[in-house]
Amino acid sequence: MRPFQPLLILDLLPELLPYLSVSLEVVIGTIFFGAILGIILTYMKINGSYGQSHIAHLYTYIARCTPSIVLLFIVFYGLPKIILELFSYNINNLNKIFFVIATFSLLYAASVSEVMRAAYYAVDRGQYESAVSAGLTPFQALYRIVAPQAMVVALPNFSNSVINLLKEGSLAYTIGLVDLLGKGNLIIAHNYGSFVVEVYLAMAIIYWSVTIVLEKFFFHLEDYLLNRKKIRTV
Amino acid sequence: MELDYQFLIKTFFLILKGIPTTLKITAISLVLASPLAFGMALAKIYDIKYLKKIVVVYVSFMRGTPIVLQILVVYSLLPSLLNVIVKQLGLKIDVFAFNPIMYAYIIFTLSSAAILSEVFRAALLGVKHGQLEAGLSIGMSHVQTYIRIIIPQALVIALPSLCNATVNLIKNTSLAFIMSVQDITAIGKIQASYGYNYIESYADVFVVYIVVCTLIQLLFNIAEKYCGTFRQRLKT
Repeated sequence: MRPFQPLLILDLLPELLPYLSVSLEVVIGTIFFGAILGIILTYMKINGSYGQSHIAHLYTYIARCTPSIVLLFIVFYGLPKIILELFSYNINNLNKIFFVIATFSLLYAASVSEVMRAAYYAVDRGQYESAVSAGLTPFQALYRIVAPQAMVVALPNFSNSVINLLKEGSLAYTIGLVDLLGKGNLIIAHNYGSFVVEVYLAMAIIYWSVTIVLEKFFFHLEDYLLNRKKIRTV
Repeated sequence: MELDYQFLIKTFFLILKGIPTTLKITAISLVLASPLAFGMALAKIYDIKYLKKIVVVYVSFMRGTPIVLQILVVYSLLPSLLNVIVKQLGLKIDVFAFNPIMYAYIIFTLSSAAILSEVFRAALLGVKHGQLEAGLSIGMSHVQTYIRIIIPQALVIALPSLCNATVNLIKNTSLAFIMSVQDITAIGKIQASYGYNYIESYADVFVVYIVVCTLIQLLFNIAEKYCGTFRQRLKT
């Protein structure tokens, strides 16, 4: 067996790091589209009619039980066919990142809608009522009074969901997206299957550092928001 | 879009054969991980020197890296490592002939141990400290108090998170196809690649996972009612 060369990891890091941006693009795109869908779902759960809230809950339940890899394959193989059928438009040659973001948005919407719902109920009902009684419209009350408070409550869970998303996003390599993991596998293939351990360890170090940075960032953000709230109330 | 319904039904029953494998990986990983996780939770609660630091780093690493990457690392590293060890010891075992499911057990045990340690820690801290003191004051030993007083109460607190962890584990075992383990996803993938019937095959896999996860959650609901009987009595 070829001896393990730890120093090689240092050489591999600069080669792999540029592709981290692709992984982050997936995360940011998913958060954007997932949040839109998530807000709709949350609205359906909280304010929707009996049927609507049941549909939203059913959607969340199904998304919770679906392995992301399975949905990724369904979207990757199924979506082009559906769109070809409906609009007779071929999207097979589209950038693969599109399919990845579509898949994870569907899953992320479910988890983020639960985070939002919990946060909404954590804010005292009286806040909304007093805002409305002070002459704000219901939308204003929600937007200016309830949402800022709910956001602070939601932050720890939101941070968790983002980190999970980053990790799940690494599955994108299975459909051939060249993100961090995809590039690592390409490097392994170019070297005829050698340096496997070094490449994987380098990727593990990158992922680990990014999650730690994200965790610290959200932690400080929460701290900052809580402190600001204290000063205002005094 | 034309679906091949015959294929859909035929594959569904083929995929059902993968359920035992998926459940086997899940169950064995959970059983092996639980004592490990319990030890880690105790190390954290009792602030044991060095051991606590190791646990913190371990949990952070397992939480910080994707499970695919963990699978790839272990699956590429462990067989050759074992081979070297076996050769050094002079044993005549062919490491590369091991069933890949063994590696699946190892990986999912290691990763669920990290998750469960946090679940157990939160549950143990959820039991009031007075319970331990009361147990000790009537002459029970530490171990007895834990087994008879603390753990039964902690279990009730832990069950919802445990259910969550199990469902997540089932979802994660779908990645075992990387190690060529014949679980639900792997069978679906193989069936799909014969005739490019990807959509039908993965739709089957999708349905099977929902059914399996639903059954698991129902089981946990029953367990919660059963373990939580002492709580219900308090209410009346």
